[in-house]
Amino acid sequence: MAPGAPATPLPLGLLPRLLAAFSGTTGLVIKLVFLSLANAMAVWAATVLVRDSRWIALSVLVAATLAIDSVYLSRRAVPLKFLVPGSVFLIAFSVVPVAYNVNVAFTNWSTGHLLAKEEAIEGIERSYLAPPADGRSYLMAPARDGRGQLVLILVDEADGSTFVGSRVGLEPLRRDAVEIDENGAIVGTEGYQLLEADELASLDTDLSAYTVPTKDGAAIRPEGFETAVELRPTLRYEADTDTFVRIEDGTVFRDNGKGSFVAASGEELEPGWKTRVGVENFTRLLKDPLVRKPFFRVFVWTFVFAGATVVASFALGLFLAIALNLPGLRFQRTYRSLLIVPYAVPAFLSLLVWRGLLNDEFGLVNRLLPFDVPWLFDPAWARVSVILVSLWLTFPYFFLVSLGALQSIPSELVEAARVDGAGPWQVFRRITFPLLLVAVAPLLIASFAFNFNNFNNIYLLTAGGPQASDQIVAGSTDILISYTWKLAFEAGKGQDYGLASAVSIVIFLIIASISALSFWRSRSLEEMR
Amino acid sequence: MRTTWWRHLVAGVAIAFSLFPVVYIVSTAFNADQSLSASSLVPRDVTLANFRELLSGHTTSAGGRTLEIPYVRWFANSLLVATAAALLTVALGALAAYAFSRFRFRGRRMGMMTLLLIQMFPVFLAIVAIYLILLQTGDIFPFLGLNTLTGLIVVYLGGAMGVNVWLMKGFFDTIPAELDESARVDGATPAQIFWGVVLPLAAPVLAVVGLISFITTLNEFLIAGTLLQTMERQTLPVGMQFFVSQQYAEEWGTFAAGVLLAAIPVVVLFMALQRFIVQGLTRGAVKG
Repeated sequence: MAPGAPATPLPLGLLPRLLAAFSGTTGLVIKLVFLSLANAMAVWAATVLVRDSRWIALSVLVAATLAIDSVYLSRRAVPLKFLVPGSVFLIAFSVVPVAYNVNVAFTNWSTGHLLAKEEAIEGIERSYLAPPADGRSYLMAPARDGRGQLVLILVDEADGSTFVGSRVGLEPLRRDAVEIDENGAIVGTEGYQLLEADELASLDTDLSAYTVPTKDGAAIRPEGFETAVELRPTLRYEADTDTFVRIEDGTVFRDNGKGSFVAASGEELEPGWKTRVGVENFTRLLKDPLVRKPFFRVFVWTFVFAGATVVASFALGLFLAIALNLPGLRFQRTYRSLLIVPYAVPAFLSLLVWRGLLNDEFGLVNRLLPFDVPWLFDPAWARVSVILVSLWLTFPYFFLVSLGALQSIPSELVEAARVDGAGPWQVFRRITFPLLLVAVAPLLIASFAFNFNNFNNIYLLTAGGPQASDQIVAGSTDILISYTWKLAFEAGKGQDYGLASAVSIVIFLIIASISALSFWRSRSLEEMR
Repeated sequence: MRTTWWRHLVAGVAIAFSLFPVVYIVSTAFNADQSLSASSLVPRDVTLANFRELLSGHTTSAGGRTLEIPYVRWFANSLLVATAAALLTVALGALAAYAFSRFRFRGRRMGMMTLLLIQMFPVFLAIVAIYLILLQTGDIFPFLGLNTLTGLIVVYLGGAMGVNVWLMKGFFDTIPAELDESARVDGATPAQIFWGVVLPLAAPVLAVVGLISFITTLNEFLIAGTLLQTMERQTLPVGMQFFVSQQYAEEWGTFAAGVLLAAIPVVVLFMALQRFIVQGLTRGAVKG
């Protein structure tokens, strides 16, 4: 089984000697250099963690660093010395993300629920403001102070008193420091640089969100480019009962346990905060109609896509292998080399090329065909296209594998069946195919598991589209992994890290069952020495 | 003689199906007309203009629109990431495989089982968590944060252990333990035996694992596309996907040139070493 199992004694080539040279004193030096480097990084990380008061992370860091040092400085624990380097990465970028992922799946972490609760309360206090009946209004001019910070020059429209407002608060300004023209616009200030018109335009969003806090939670906010108004809070937070009360009518908003303050009427305050919601993300997959239907469709399509790709590719690959597996067939090697070209080209390139080939309007395929097929636009055709392209990408692998398996079937078996009077079809069905399947079955399962998560084949060809509707994240060709990715990262429809993590756990459970099946079949665990 | 014409016919049809996108892209890359609608299997006028435009870093369509395409940068980024990930994957995997193959210690069986179990949860499934973790490590080590190539490489190394270790351990087991024994008698330490005896003899399996890891990393889009945000930092899959998601119908010739330049080295490498790769693939590794 192993190619070229070494039987020759140690070759006295340059390479082993070079390597041996690195293992004596030099080896010790290299080891110490790496170890000090790791420690230096740990010390640096520790200073940052201390600065940010992240004590749990700090204690994990210290423990890990001490453990690593003790492994490499002791004379015992030799196997660990070989296992630690890979394990560090395995833990940091495989185990920890997985654990974190599971953790996120039980939270409501999503757009509108990104903050901690205290931050959300501050956010609510800042955003639920309204101009009171007797509120003041101001003439306003945005300006930069001596340090280049954006400030507002304000003139009270009632009594003409002048102020400078910053994000910190309101400061009075000498009246004669502000110059007002005959139209009532501020045209100059002492000590501040007024903004020009073109700079104003680029600051539009900054300016509209600019808030100058004043007394008792009230604030001054710009309205347009030339005026500002005083706003007062419409809600009051009561810390002892952990509720918000609307000042106007006394409506009480309570913590609903799911990261929002909600009134009895169902009215919700924004933003909410991040909190644990138990299995809610999983029940949403089964119950919430907006989630359940697309999830179920994607779920079924993922199986269809992976199954169809594997079955079609295996069928085509096997057929070609049988056709070309004739000893002495002319051009056999040439055919073989040409047929595996699709497999040799990096898949991401082929997929992007296919996207152009299948373009509805300008694509070569539609121009060569006598009729037009909406390859990527129509939901049903898009599914056909995805499977077709996956077939193109995958059949060479099964061609190679089948060819190898066919050639390893002992010819005596086939001969014997022939002598007993079996026809070619019978030989294939009763002898060749069963034997071949034994060898190929684990690879079929592995390929199914791989295609089950084949993000590239979907995303690079159709991007999951065509889109079913604006309301639903999942497109017609989305599989579970691309659906997960869209839930988490596709901007515009809101990001839902919690739900995305829940879906990825579902994928894991499916893949784990498939792998378990594969182990059970190949019994690879028993082979372990 | 048995009839063989149908075998040649089958081969011919299958090769036509396999190769027509390849022929098409070669022809488009050399075609003087840039647009998708003018592309064909045979170029009308052969020119190198598409390659020149690609390497110049930006492309201008017939409509006069200019698009920044830092193709050389993408290419270099991809090469760097894939090479580093492949070399380090081999190194980390070989170290672990050596421990599992040559030492008998408590928790060995458990360790190997754990590797298999963790491997079942592909790293990219935890992409949300990886994104959020890198967002935070970037505060401590800027070079390991989002939008850095080192951060991306390090994330790829999270998947270095697993099937690779099993594959390499299987091969190490076939290297006679007597070689170790005689080296130990001569006073060699385990580290010296590893570097001096086992590794040189395991060259074939190291090459297979390295190559498969190289090609898989080169193809990886999901993680790279999530972590790398600015054009200058992107790898080829991410950059080329961006290229195509623009008004690509008008710059199709330049795109084809980019595909050709990226594909040729990989195809040559694959064809030269296909025997080894196929051996590795039939033992559990899956190429992307």
